[in-house]
Amino acid sequence: MARSTPTYTPVRNYAFGFILSVFLLFSDISYGTFAPLRGLVQASNLYAQMVSRSIFENVSNLLYSFKQNRNLTQENKDLKEQIHKIRTQEFIKSKEAEKSFEIINFQKTLISSLKSNDINIFKIASIDLRNYLCCSTHKIFLQNLNQVQVLENTPVFAGSSYVGQTKSTYLNFIEVILFSDTKHLLPIKSNFFYCDARGKGKPMLISCKLNKNIDDFQNKISDAIFTSGLGGIFLKDIEIGNISAINSISINEIEVVITLKTNPLEENFFGIIGSEADEI
Amino acid sequence: MLGFALDDFMNPVSIKLFVELNFGFLIFAYWVFALPEKIQSSAALIYGLVIDLLFSNVIGFNMLFFITTSYIIHLYVFRFRIFSYFQLSVFFSGSSTIYTACKYLLLSPYNYSYIVLMVSFLITLVLWVGIYFVMRAFRRSFFSNL
Repeated sequence: MARSTPTYTPVRNYAFGFILSVFLLFSDISYGTFAPLRGLVQASNLYAQMVSRSIFENVSNLLYSFKQNRNLTQENKDLKEQIHKIRTQEFIKSKEAEKSFEIINFQKTLISSLKSNDINIFKIASIDLRNYLCCSTHKIFLQNLNQVQVLENTPVFAGSSYVGQTKSTYLNFIEVILFSDTKHLLPIKSNFFYCDARGKGKPMLISCKLNKNIDDFQNKISDAIFTSGLGGIFLKDIEIGNISAINSISINEIEVVITLKTNPLEENFFGIIGSEADEI
Repeated sequence: MLGFALDDFMNPVSIKLFVELNFGFLIFAYWVFALPEKIQSSAALIYGLVIDLLFSNVIGFNMLFFITTSYIIHLYVFRFRIFSYFQLSVFFSGSSTIYTACKYLLLSPYNYSYIVLMVSFLITLVLWVGIYFVMRAFRRSFFSNL
């Protein structure tokens, strides 16, 4: 039976290691043999620490600068948003002021033109632009937020002239048929004729047919055209446009084309005379 | 290596409580105890040299102690296997205390203190159990094939 446990390493290796260690230890303690080597290792260690600290500081500074940059970018963005907001507010305020001024001016024009104080002003809600530019149906819708009672076929004024008639009301909107709609007839007059002008289905154009010779209309282009008031709807003598063309249809029949004074596309506000004014 | 770094970090504080910790030595001793066929004289010698270069004031001290400890563990490794945890603790904390005592005697004889050795022995007695189980869990997790 074995008296001792087996080992993995021969004793001589340990003995060699032991002697070597003792020798190194003795020489180092007694003579400082490895002092330069230790110094070199310690210096390398310190240098590595310095380098790693420097790298860490650089990375840290870089991250800090990134963070600061991000903060500055965010601040810049916030400030830009604030500036944009303030500008928008100022723009809205100025537009509100312009709008008020425009309404007042328009109201004054209406009062002086129509000689009535009972005038309701409505803002345009939409215009059927697709049909207006191409086809025969010319309508606009006005906002009636206060739900003012508006009768059908009441004249509608815009700019400095009539532009059409109310057709019906839907909820808070008033449908207005424009003079240029082919279904609309407007009694008009000039210095030397009366007629019922029908919309041509083209923007700002109406026309009427007269049994007259074209020679009678020499130099009549750009003559002013007024409402005749014969239909009982429109007040008379309100200028609505000018003669823009005279076309011969047959020997004794001509078409007088009138360009309307007011372009509904350029107007924001439309006035409708109240029912009391109609009764005058 | 981590154990010696931990010693360097903790001993300036623990010495005020008369405790000299030897995590590095204990961890080395555990690995020799756990894997005697892998860590032999050359490994102990090289590891000691590296520790001397990086953490010690003289070359040869850790080499000497590592190779001696390694030899003793190799010699009695199978007997240690049947030792209780307490007996193992006594052996390894005793080795650690001898290591500390020799370190003081050789490198700093003026600071040699029996109180430090006794308190360190008692503390290491407890610490060894913790080191043993932590290292064993580590070995089984990462070096299960060894």
